[in-house]
Amino acid sequence: MVQIIISSKAGEGPAEWLLVELQGEMVSRQNTGLAGNLMGDLHYTKEFGLNMETDKMLKTLLYLFTYGKFLICPLSKGVPVLIVGHHILYGKQVKLEKPFAVLMKHSGLPQNEDDAMETNQENPTFYTVSALIKKKLIFKTRPKPIITNVPKKV
Amino acid sequence: MDEYDEMYGIEDDFEQQFADELEVMAEMEREHPTSAKVSEFRKKSISQTFEEAIVSGDVPLRKSVNNHCPESISPPVVEEEESLTPKPKKRRQDVAKKLQFENGDDITPPSSPEVYDRPARDWPGFSLSLSPDRPEATKITANVLDISGLATLQESPKRDSAARRHVQKRPPAIGDYITVTDSMGNRVYLNKKEDEEKVPDPRAFRNSLNGLGLLAVPIEVLKEQIAERRHRQVMEESQRLTELMNSGIDSELLAEEQADSGVDGDSGEDEGSSSRLWVDQFSPQHYTDLLSDDFTNRCLLKWLKLWDTVVFGRERKPRSAPADVRPNFTNAQNQNQSQRFKTKSQMTEEILEAELDQYKRPKFKVALLSGPPGLGKTTLAHIIAKHAGYNVVEINASDDRSAELFQKRIDTATQMKSVLGANEKPNCLIIDEIDGAPAAAINILLATLNRKDSKEGEESGANALKKKKKKQSVLLRPIICICNDLYVPALRPLRQQAFLLAFPQTVPSRLAQRLAEITRRQGMKADTGTLMALCEKTDNDIRSCINTLQFLHSRGQKHLDQRSVNSVSVGLKDQNKGLFSVWQEIFQLPRLKRKRIGGDPFGGFNEAGPKDGAQRLQHILHLVSSNGEHEKLTQGLYDNFLSMKLKDPGMLGVCTGLDWLCFSDLLNECVLHGQNYSLMRYFPFLPAAFHHLYAANSVPRINYPHSHYEAFTKTQHTKNALVAMLNDIPPAIQNRISMSGLCLDIISLLLELISPKLRPVNPQLYSTREKQQLYDLIDTMINYNLTYRQDRTPEGQYTYVLEPNVEDVVHFPGLPPRRQLTYQVKQLIARETELERMRRMEKAKQKQNPQKTEAVNKDQEKKTEVKKQTSRNHQQRLENIVKQTVVESRPELDFFGRAIVPKEKPVVTTTSEDGKGGGVVHIGKAVGNSDVWFRFNEGVSNAVRRNVYIRELL
Repeated sequence: MVQIIISSKAGEGPAEWLLVELQGEMVSRQNTGLAGNLMGDLHYTKEFGLNMETDKMLKTLLYLFTYGKFLICPLSKGVPVLIVGHHILYGKQVKLEKPFAVLMKHSGLPQNEDDAMETNQENPTFYTVSALIKKKLIFKTRPKPIITNVPKKV
Repeated sequence: MDEYDEMYGIEDDFEQQFADELEVMAEMEREHPTSAKVSEFRKKSISQTFEEAIVSGDVPLRKSVNNHCPESISPPVVEEEESLTPKPKKRRQDVAKKLQFENGDDITPPSSPEVYDRPARDWPGFSLSLSPDRPEATKITANVLDISGLATLQESPKRDSAARRHVQKRPPAIGDYITVTDSMGNRVYLNKKEDEEKVPDPRAFRNSLNGLGLLAVPIEVLKEQIAERRHRQVMEESQRLTELMNSGIDSELLAEEQADSGVDGDSGEDEGSSSRLWVDQFSPQHYTDLLSDDFTNRCLLKWLKLWDTVVFGRERKPRSAPADVRPNFTNAQNQNQSQRFKTKSQMTEEILEAELDQYKRPKFKVALLSGPPGLGKTTLAHIIAKHAGYNVVEINASDDRSAELFQKRIDTATQMKSVLGANEKPNCLIIDEIDGAPAAAINILLATLNRKDSKEGEESGANALKKKKKKQSVLLRPIICICNDLYVPALRPLRQQAFLLAFPQTVPSRLAQRLAEITRRQGMKADTGTLMALCEKTDNDIRSCINTLQFLHSRGQKHLDQRSVNSVSVGLKDQNKGLFSVWQEIFQLPRLKRKRIGGDPFGGFNEAGPKDGAQRLQHILHLVSSNGEHEKLTQGLYDNFLSMKLKDPGMLGVCTGLDWLCFSDLLNECVLHGQNYSLMRYFPFLPAAFHHLYAANSVPRINYPHSHYEAFTKTQHTKNALVAMLNDIPPAIQNRISMSGLCLDIISLLLELISPKLRPVNPQLYSTREKQQLYDLIDTMINYNLTYRQDRTPEGQYTYVLEPNVEDVVHFPGLPPRRQLTYQVKQLIARETELERMRRMEKAKQKQNPQKTEAVNKDQEKKTEVKKQTSRNHQQRLENIVKQTVVESRPELDFFGRAIVPKEKPVVTTTSEDGKGGGVVHIGKAVGNSDVWFRFNEGVSNAVRRNVYIRELL
């Protein structure tokens, strides 16, 4: 039997994150990779409906740490709006049927790979729950271009 | 009892069948109530002197010809009898009575020389004695007509200077006689008498008439003698001339001719009248004289009689329904059959019985007579129209037949009426040779028929005044059209609206009999066999027969025999026999001819073998040369000769035939190449040879030759494909190949070459070897100017076919089709070929002007450099937009501007050129120039499944 131990920190409990699901992919413009780059702005509208007025208070900056992983911040109401580059995407907040847990792996292995087999048995790896994800923001509509002010003659 | 019924039935039927004719007869009698027609002329003769008659003898009108005519028209058997030959001038053509020998004793008038003194007294007596029997007599003759020509003698009453009777029931005690048996089985005896005693008669008689004989010889006689002498001189000269001209023709014939001219010294007398065609001279004047088919005559007459109601206002006599009589004598089965399938004649009868339309016109307003030339169509139309009481108006081929004139003539003929004439007869329009008329004219004729029809509907509702006005335009007169070819395209619309009457061939026996009468009247001698031969030769063409007779007569030939008829080529019409009949005659042996009555039985029989062959040869030669369409004829022979029943097992006949065809081909080539038309005379020998090789007794089944046309079109097709292929082949290759070489050697192999085995997958996936193969294939195809073209089959499927479709060129029918590439591969090849072609074109252009291309290349390089420097296109544009907009609308966009505020890390890495104004950069960062952008995946689920192993987790 394989046993994997998952533990959480005692006391405070794991933080709650949001999952952002995009239909499409994020592409780095200069082929420099996504890591460390500003991805875009996430806003919530105040009311339901596609109003461009956004609540600046709820504006969150999203930073991409690694490809596909987001650091998600506070919950709010209204329609989530994501602005990436010159695109604006409208999404919605959905409760996940099965919540996810974000685990941190603590490997018991020494870093050199020669004696991996031996050490395997001695120190089992364990995981700690760093966050729970119960909701996601899903952006599946076609992105709309932001055209700031169309001059009369281009 | 049954028999009796049947007899009765037949008689009834007969009454019905010939009702019209009987009616005609009755009318004829009504017209001349006091005496028979004959007597009219007799009466005239009282006031006319003989001199007048002589003078006007050349104009054979009724009045002049008939006043003294001791003509005796006897049956053809009697013709050899010299004594019966009438004096040439004393002919009478109009009045011909049908004589029955059983009545002979009654009919033969008590003739005597005094007849001229008291004709009025004599002739009524004759007519009286005749008239009671008349309907019966005609009935019988009409009945017999078709059975045998001998019985239907167009006899005129005979008279004799002697007081003796000509026709006797018993052999006369004194003098020579001839026995004659008619078709009824009655035998009568004809007296023979000498002709010579008659000659002085008229003159002496005239002397006595003249009374005052101041001269020893009457002046008329002197005049006549002078005229005769002069005439004879002229004739002798002309005869010498003809002899000179004919010297090359036939020595035998010539000798005969000379003998004839020697014997018949008085032939000159005839020539005065020879200026007139016999055809006109002997044309029938009455319905009963008509030679054409009785049924046709009757039908046309019936049709014309249908107009009586509207034209003359006479009511139509109701007829007893034929259905009542029939069941009596036809058995049930027969009746059923007749009900189910109507014969053509029944159909015609039905048409004639059909109801009149609202104008009391018959259903068909036009009668269309059709038949080969010379059968008497025009004559029939004229006579019947005249007979039915119409004034004949004829439009002929010689008239102008433009549309307007035609319209005018039709209108005049159908709507106007002669006012000046003594008897105002209504018009009957006869349009002769309508098949030669232009379509416009025929349309006008149709319009005349139809336009009125359409107006009828309006008319019924219109008021009386209008009605009267319009009624004038309604066609109320019969129109008879005559044509030779019923199936001329222009006549097609007319055919549907016309009462069609096809003229059958004249019965040869009747024609021969009529010819016999003519020859006898003209003082020629001919036996029935000869005349029958003549009939056959001319295909029973009455006109041609008579013309031939006249021709022979004018050459001075008094004795006609079979040989002369056969040797003369005049009788043959310059007729166009259809190609099919020509082929038929070539491939079919003529039926064995019955021996002619006149021909010597033994000599003819012995000669039959070789002579027959020679005759056949001559016949075919003539037939073919008159046809003229040599090429078509040859094709027909070529197409059909193999389907004939060949008897030789060694196929020698076929070889010979092919040799002949080759020969003919060579001839043709020679003629057409060198314009050496003298060789054309050898063309007819090919059909003649074929006739001798392949003619059989059975009726050949001949197909119209299509093979030449098919082969021709195929050749054209092939040539076109090859030319199209050759034209665009690059010159480097083109100069090595010729069309024949391409066709014979290259293409079949080429087609194999260009269908290699290629995997039906995306060419990107091909291995290098396969790519090379594909490239080679495309190279080949381009070099030989081939490609695939998408084509839609009739079934709606799409296929790719070779563009110049040279596949057909080398594909033989019947062989299995060669392996085809799949649709996908062909599509691929087609596309690649197109691309490659474009590439080559471009390359060629570049080669043509290398400097430009260099420049272009430089430009391209520059561009690429620029491209490398700048970011992508859409970005550039956006940047520009942002640059432009930012300057103007900076304050508005400040929310974006603010958004950019944390520009810590990434800004420096972006392009350096853009960083002019700080604000611009920021905003560009935010919207247009951000480091990360979003690519939307439309409709694609790129869900990634990844296997995770436990060991990775541990």
